[in-house]
Amino acid sequence: MKRLDLIINERELERICAALIAAGAPGYTVVRHVTGRGHGGTVSEGMDFSGFGANAHVIVFCSSDDLAGIRTALKPLLGYYGGVGFVSEAEAL
Amino acid sequence: MDPSLVLQNLLSPPVLFFGLGLLSVLLRSDLEIPAPLPKLFSLYLLLAIGLKGGIELQHSGLDRLVLLTIGAALTMAVLVPITSFLLLRTRFDTYNAAALAAAYGSISAVTFITAETFLGSLAIPFDGFMVAALALMESPAIIIGLLLVRLTAPRAEGPGLQWGSLLHEAFLNSSVLVLVGSLLIGVLSAAYSPAGITKMEPFTEQLFYGALSFFLLDMGIVAGQRLRELQATGAFLIGFALLSPPLHAIAGLGVSLLLHLPQGDALLFMVLCASASYIAVPAAMRMTVPQANPSLYITASLGLTFPFNIVVGIPLYMAAVQRFIPAV
Repeated sequence: MKRLDLIINERELERICAALIAAGAPGYTVVRHVTGRGHGGTVSEGMDFSGFGANAHVIVFCSSDDLAGIRTALKPLLGYYGGVGFVSEAEAL
Repeated sequence: MDPSLVLQNLLSPPVLFFGLGLLSVLLRSDLEIPAPLPKLFSLYLLLAIGLKGGIELQHSGLDRLVLLTIGAALTMAVLVPITSFLLLRTRFDTYNAAALAAAYGSISAVTFITAETFLGSLAIPFDGFMVAALALMESPAIIIGLLLVRLTAPRAEGPGLQWGSLLHEAFLNSSVLVLVGSLLIGVLSAAYSPAGITKMEPFTEQLFYGALSFFLLDMGIVAGQRLRELQATGAFLIGFALLSPPLHAIAGLGVSLLLHLPQGDALLFMVLCASASYIAVPAAMRMTVPQANPSLYITASLGLTFPFNIVVGIPLYMAAVQRFIPAV
């Protein structure tokens, strides 16, 4: 089983989640209000009032077979809007 | 310039609270306002000012001066981003120049509200239709920004044209929707339900000044945090963020003189020309021009131009208004 961790701006969350489902992801978990520092500088909740809010962390568990389609669907979106994704091995309890 | 104008602005509770927010960052205080509250207060301020503007618009009606002023406001919302882009393009790539130009072509509702409050403290009247100008100046710069990218970016690098998303973001983002919606509600309510307006007053009038002060406390914190990122912006952008507001305000003063606007409306028109957006435009640019670096256009508009306008700009523009436009 694979684990995919995505850190994206909350504004693109809906788009990314729609792409995940369309690409065959069995589901996803979303953690909102994620802050930190990236290529574009500090990401905080300070700009939430503007709709230019913090980041979101999307976690996906999927099979290796599903991952190829997800990778193909997400790479252009991450390349265009920014954001990062990392794949690691996962094991169910 | 009359020093009492500066002091009257500087020592008003909203500006002092803004300073307190800034100071809290500089002193590394743990002062923090929970994220949903600034959003709530931002929406409240837009609702209150929209409603008030709509009521006054209903009373004044749509005469020639109103239409000319709104037309001039729309013209400035197109001209300011284009001229800003030409200047910014000498130092920035197309994407960053367009995003910055869009931010400076649009407006800051909170700066406008602070200017209205300043006029109130001086007992200088202003017309409700200026709120309509405020609402209409928010969106055109977003479209101009993307058009500038489309026209000047290399085709292979340019973003896909997303007119549907862009127009949705430009005209239906939460701040524009609440402002325009409240304006229309104000017009309709003033015409058909004056008793309803009276019932709204404790919410939209009596809480307004306190809510503005509280919101500016948060804005001071956010602006202070943005100031830390000034190193990344460079001297040119710092100069642009501090010099373009008075230059745009001078253009606004020229238009006000041509239109024979009274003092209060002239100050608000200058503030509309001089302010930069840190709400609608950054959100729209993030979606439509993601190649642009947000730390440039947010830091410039929120960390520099916004504090400049509310602390120095408003009394400075008022002094110019009083110099060139006689009180009625």
